[in-house]
Amino acid sequence: MTTVTIEVNGKTVTADVKPRTHLADFLREQLLLTGTHIGCEHGVCGACTVEIDGEISRSCITFAVACDGAKVRTIESFDDDPLMARMRTAFSTSHALQCGYCTPGMLIAARDLVRRKAAEPDLDIRTEMSGNLCRCTGYAGIIEAIETVAAEAPAVPVLADGRWVGPAPGPGATTPPTAAASAATRAAPAPAKAPAVKTTPLAAPSRPIKVEVGPVTVENGETRFTEGFALDHPRDAVWALMRDPEKVAGCMPGLTLDPPTADDRLTGRMEVKLGPISAGFSGEGAFARDDAAHRMEITGRGSDRKSGSRASGRVAYTLSDATGGTSAATRVDCVIAFTLQGPLAQFGRSDLVRDLVARIGEAFARNLDARLRAPDGAAVAPAELGGVSLVLGVLFGRIRRAVIQALGRGS
Amino acid sequence: MKAAAFDYVRPASVAEACALLAGDGDAKIMAGGQSLGPMLNLRLAQPALLVDVTRIADLGRVEESADAITLGAVVTHAAIEDRRVADPTHGFLARVARGIAYRAVRSRGTIGGSLAHADPAADWVSTLTALGAEVLLTGAGGAQRRVPVEEFIRGAMSTALEPGEILDGVRIPRFSPAARFGFEKICRKTGEFAEAMGVAVLDPERGVCRVVAGAGGGRPVVIEASRGAGARLLERFADPGATRDMLIEAGLTGDEFKMRLHVAAVRRAVEEIRR
Repeated sequence: MTTVTIEVNGKTVTADVKPRTHLADFLREQLLLTGTHIGCEHGVCGACTVEIDGEISRSCITFAVACDGAKVRTIESFDDDPLMARMRTAFSTSHALQCGYCTPGMLIAARDLVRRKAAEPDLDIRTEMSGNLCRCTGYAGIIEAIETVAAEAPAVPVLADGRWVGPAPGPGATTPPTAAASAATRAAPAPAKAPAVKTTPLAAPSRPIKVEVGPVTVENGETRFTEGFALDHPRDAVWALMRDPEKVAGCMPGLTLDPPTADDRLTGRMEVKLGPISAGFSGEGAFARDDAAHRMEITGRGSDRKSGSRASGRVAYTLSDATGGTSAATRVDCVIAFTLQGPLAQFGRSDLVRDLVARIGEAFARNLDARLRAPDGAAVAPAELGGVSLVLGVLFGRIRRAVIQALGRGS
Repeated sequence: MKAAAFDYVRPASVAEACALLAGDGDAKIMAGGQSLGPMLNLRLAQPALLVDVTRIADLGRVEESADAITLGAVVTHAAIEDRRVADPTHGFLARVARGIAYRAVRSRGTIGGSLAHADPAADWVSTLTALGAEVLLTGAGGAQRRVPVEEFIRGAMSTALEPGEILDGVRIPRFSPAARFGFEKICRKTGEFAEAMGVAVLDPERGVCRVVAGAGGGRPVVIEASRGAGARLLERFADPGATRDMLIEAGLTGDEFKMRLHVAAVRRAVEEIRR
C-alpha cells in the first residue's frame, strides 16, 4: 500500500492504494465515483476518460499511485460547467447516446476537443473523437452534437501555457514522504537475480550468418515458419554438433537444458523476452533423430509460472550438402511451429514475432558457426541477441552453473 | 484484467532511477505508461518494480543549441502537438504528434517512452529515424552516450539500452526553413497500430535526403541519398516496382499485401516532398 493525496473533483482525498490499482478502479471502488466507466481496460475504448491536471487521460491505464499530487476531474464534477452543459443539451437533441455506457468518456473528450480546437477551420471531429468507441449510435448523432457546440465560440479558456510538458502532474506535485519511504525500502539491494557474469573470452569470434525466414503463418492457434541458413563447414561436422540435443541447446539463445536422463527425455527452461514481456517456460521435450537423412525433430512443451501461460512447439531441421567448388558448406533448413496459450497468447502481433524469431535464428546460427570453428572443448560465449543481453547474461550464468553442477567442480 | 502486483517508486533524479534499475533485474521504467499500461493490465508484462520517471524535472527539459533541439524523454506527444516545446522541424513534429493514437493517450504518452518501447508501429520510431535524431542514454554511474535512433532501434521492441541505462532525451537536428517533410501512415482504424508508415525528409541546405519505411516487423529501413543526389533518388520512387525493389534491397520484409502497403505509404510520403 502506498498513501496518495489526490484532488478529486475539487476535494482533497488521502487514501492508501496498491500500486497496481489503476485510477478508474480507485475512483469507482474506493471513492464510489461510478460515473467513470470501464470498457476495455486496456486503453482502446475511451469509456474511462477523465481529466488529470486539465488534460484528458485514460484512467484505466494510468495508475492511481502515479496521480499522487494531481487534480483529477470526473464526469460527476461537470454539472455546473457551462461548456459541458451545452454539450449535454446537444447530446440530447442529437440523440448522441443510447445505452449511455460510452457517454461519460464521450462527453469529457468532446468538451476537451471543443475547448482546444473549436476555432480550427478544418476541425476533423471524426478523427479527433476516434479514441472513444460507441456501440449504439453509429456516431452520426455524436458528431452532430459536437458540431453544434463547436460552431459556437468556446466557453472556457484553453489550458495555460508554460505548464509541465510531461505526463501530469510532474515534479512540482511530488509529495516526498511516500516516494522517499517507498524508495528507501527498495534501496536495499535485493538479492541479485542475475549473478554478474564474466563471459569467457571468445575462442572463436562470432561472425554474422544470413538467416532467411519464411512467412509466418498462424493457423488454429499454431504459429509456423521456416528458417534456413548456410554454414561454411562440412555436413558431417555440422551434423556431429546438431545431432546432439545438448549441444544444440547450448547454441540456442534463451534455452537451458538440464543434465540428460537415461530415457532420452529432455527437461529444461526457455527464456523469451520481447520488450517488457518476459517469460521463462519450464518443461520437457523429446527428440527423434535420423542419422541417415541428417534430420532431427525436437518437440517440447512447458509453462511459464509467472504468467500462467503454456507453450508447446516443435523444430524439425534437415541438413543438406551445399558444398560448391573448394569450400565445404552445409545448408540447414528448419521448420518451426509453436502454440501459446494463456495471457501471453493475447499478444497477437505475428509481424513482431517474425522479427524476434529472425533475431533468435541469427544468434543461433552464429553460435553454431562459432562452436564449429572453436577448437575441441573450448568454451564459446553465446552471440548476443540484440537488446536481449540481460537474458543472455542470466542464461549464461545458468549454463555455467549447470555445467559446474553436472561436472561436479567449481571454478 | 488487472495488472499483477508490482512495487512502485518515483525517483527524483536520473541517477536515482539508474540505481534503482541496476539494483533489480526485474525493474521496468514507466513514463506515461500508455504502451506499458495495457501490457500490465493484460499481464503480458509482470515486472516486480515500476520506476516512474515522470517526476524527474530534467526529463522534461527542452534545450536549444545552434544545430539541434533536445527534448527530455518525458515530453508528451500532446506537448509537441500543441507546440508547447520548440520544434526544429518547423511544424513537422507537431503534425506527426497529432496523429499518434488519441488525445487522451497523447496527453500521457512520451517521446522517450515510445522510443524505448521500440514498437515498430510507433510514429516516433520511424519519424526520428528519418530525421537523423539521436537518443541520449545515461547509465549507472552517470556514464552518458549518444546513439543515432537508427542504431538504437535493434528490432521489434528491442533497443541498444544496456541494463541499468535510461533514455533521458532525444536530440533532433535543426532543419532549414526550406526543408520538406512527407509522412504517410496506413492504419485500419485511426489511432490504431500502423500497418505501414512512410517518412520522407529533404533538406538540400543540409544535404539531407532520407526516406524511411516503418511499421514493418522490425526496425525501420532507411534509404538515403548522398549529398546532392536527393532529387535523383526521389525520382526513383515515381515507379512502384522500383520502390518495392529499393525497399526489399534495404531489408524490408513482408507478404505481398504488406509490401503493397509499404510501397504505397513510402510513395505517398515521397510524393509530398516532390510536389
